[in-house]
Amino acid sequence: MENLDAARLQMAFTLIFHIVFACIGMVMPFFMVVSHYKWLKTRDQIYLTLTKSWQKGVAIFFVTGAVSGTALSFELGLLWPEFMKHAGPIIGMPFSLEGAAFFVEAIALGFYLYGWNKLPEKFHWVTGIIIGLSGVASGILVVAANGWMNSPTGFDYIDGQFLNIDPVKAMLNPAWFTQALHMTLAAFTATGFAVAGIHAYQVYKKRRVELHKKAFKIAITFGAIAAILQPVSGDISAKDIAKRQPVKLAAMEAHYNTEKGAPLYIGGIVDNEKQEVKYKIALPGMLSFLAFGDLDAEVRGLNDFPEDERPNVAIVHYAFQIMVGIGSLLLFAGILYFVSLKRKKWFSSNRYWLLFVLLAPMGFIALEAGWIVTEVGRQPWIIHKIMRTKDAVTPMPGIVFSFYTYVVVYLTLSIAVTWLMLRQIKVLNNSSH
Amino acid sequence: MLYVVLFFLIFSLYLYVVLGGADYGAGIVELFSSEENQKITKKTIYRVMGPVWEANHIWIIILIVILWIAFPAYYNIIVVHLHIPLTIILLGVTLRGVAFVFRHYDAVIDNSQKLYDSMFKVSSLVTPIFLGMVFGALISGEILIVDDVGTLTFYEAFIEPWLNIFSVLVGLFFAALCAFLSSVLLIGESEKEVSKIYIRKASIATVVVFIVGLVTFVYGYIFEYVFVRDFLENNFAIAFMLLSGILLLPLRITIRKGRRVLSRFFAGLQVFLILLAALISHFPDIIITETSSISLLDNIAPDSVIRVLGISLIIGGAVILPGLFHLLKSFKMIKILEQ
Repeated sequence: MENLDAARLQMAFTLIFHIVFACIGMVMPFFMVVSHYKWLKTRDQIYLTLTKSWQKGVAIFFVTGAVSGTALSFELGLLWPEFMKHAGPIIGMPFSLEGAAFFVEAIALGFYLYGWNKLPEKFHWVTGIIIGLSGVASGILVVAANGWMNSPTGFDYIDGQFLNIDPVKAMLNPAWFTQALHMTLAAFTATGFAVAGIHAYQVYKKRRVELHKKAFKIAITFGAIAAILQPVSGDISAKDIAKRQPVKLAAMEAHYNTEKGAPLYIGGIVDNEKQEVKYKIALPGMLSFLAFGDLDAEVRGLNDFPEDERPNVAIVHYAFQIMVGIGSLLLFAGILYFVSLKRKKWFSSNRYWLLFVLLAPMGFIALEAGWIVTEVGRQPWIIHKIMRTKDAVTPMPGIVFSFYTYVVVYLTLSIAVTWLMLRQIKVLNNSSH
Repeated sequence: MLYVVLFFLIFSLYLYVVLGGADYGAGIVELFSSEENQKITKKTIYRVMGPVWEANHIWIIILIVILWIAFPAYYNIIVVHLHIPLTIILLGVTLRGVAFVFRHYDAVIDNSQKLYDSMFKVSSLVTPIFLGMVFGALISGEILIVDDVGTLTFYEAFIEPWLNIFSVLVGLFFAALCAFLSSVLLIGESEKEVSKIYIRKASIATVVVFIVGLVTFVYGYIFEYVFVRDFLENNFAIAFMLLSGILLLPLRITIRKGRRVLSRFFAGLQVFLILLAALISHFPDIIITETSSISLLDNIAPDSVIRVLGISLIIGGAVILPGLFHLLKSFKMIKILEQ
């Protein structure tokens, strides 16, 4: 395997894991504080039990998220030293602020976990809120740094030199807001449906139904609201990409030839040799409409761009289809949940619970697919139109061994974490409170 | 603003060495304890470190981020040439953190605890050794800087800089220092009978620190390491080292009198002096290569970057430090206000 491929695989692999840990660590505190709030208000013992078992989840995911995040902060330099040498100072600001937010989160978590019966009740509860808010802030700041790779601003690039650096402008690059909004909603959707799905399974299996129903409701409310808002954010993102990175949009849609009134393809198999998409459903004019709000607008195709500036079309296109497809599915599931609040008898139907069990992993699949769209779609650039990924990779050979090590360690860890969570749930079901 | 950034760089390095060091040391102390004492230590570690250990390890992230933002060229040399030990450190940090959480948060207590414990203890020893080796590599003069790394063999470019006797000695020195810090911390956290164990550990750690330190210097002197030569010629460095040694006396007295805050203060001060001595003889040339020295202040990031970073650090510090202090105080890590 080439060094570049190994480095890219290792980065992708560690990011795929980190994203899951980080999202759960960032969203679950909100479920926890809602349950905690209900405990303080109702003094219903069930909410206390739920809060305490969610807090263990938060602790475990925070640590796994934190260590995998530490790993990434090293890997950026270890795998892409040339990139960090030039980009480090420019995008340092979101990273240093992220460090601060992360620190605040760790401090608040220390207070929260160890503060039961020691701190004043309200202050204790507020530290829980701080965990959640600083987690979301961390997420947004890291995404802002990624946004810069897609839309580099805040410097002048003259003769291979980065001059007149403005770190604030670099942080507030054109992509940061659309990406951060989309990612935050995605984190809430994915975690909401995943946690709700786990509790739905317990209800389905008739274990401590009352507790798990309460847990389900808290988690799914967050997930459903986020899933319903997500298409709006997706639309903003699509229009933004159409302007900033037309080649990425073309790859997402497997759109080869520039045309007016471009059709939107649904499904289909990409044939990159013949430059066509087989077995698709084409909606005439819809791509133009989605990208520019006009059925007749001209959408630039892949052939408008030099061959060595195009990403891998098939991967980007399939990932995009998966993301949008699952996103729509979760949108309907979200609406279904709110309808079910009016039709109470659905709650006693086992099929209702089974549906949410099946939806549990979907949000995360969509979220990972979305990151594949944006990251593979950015290739061959590590800094859009400025530096190629192949020029940024470490000169140290043999990265493939490092990649294999990470695969073994991360797979082992995820098996262990899953196993631990299962034990947590089992103990929760067997306890009387 | 550059001074603000430098202050935070050294400040976070110091806090990582002391807080992170005490944290690693706890695992080392547990590793070198009898089975019965291990159980006691495990409980004490959880009570003492539990609320703060995550915060202890964020200093290294702050350190790395400051390095890459403000001193990119310098950072570049570290990540390229010390890729392998840094990766090992990462794995160590990962396994250690996970093991800590697993052994304290697993809902079922069974045989898997043994696995978590050994994971925790071994990674607590290995990680600081490699951390020390990285620092050792930077001052060893074994790093070769050339325009194209491809002209060197793999061994010359990526192994030799850190896998040499001098760097390993520095690694062992740091691990011993961690055990020393942790023992002093644990003395104040345990009952009278138990604290005797940690007093003995602290004495052993002190002896090990002294012996390893001495061997490092003798080895460095015999083989003419630039760092050791300059260190021995620098009056400040020598004075700091001596002062650090003398402080063992008040440390002993405070420990015997059960003044735990004061004893921790002395131990922390000793480590501060050692760190200062190590940095001052060469500052700002912290990387010593085979042919010359590389200054931290060479190829610094542009002013605009340093300014924004300095402001972020001041604001971040203003938010974090009171919070951290309050956290340490709430869980009785700092008793100053009670005395």
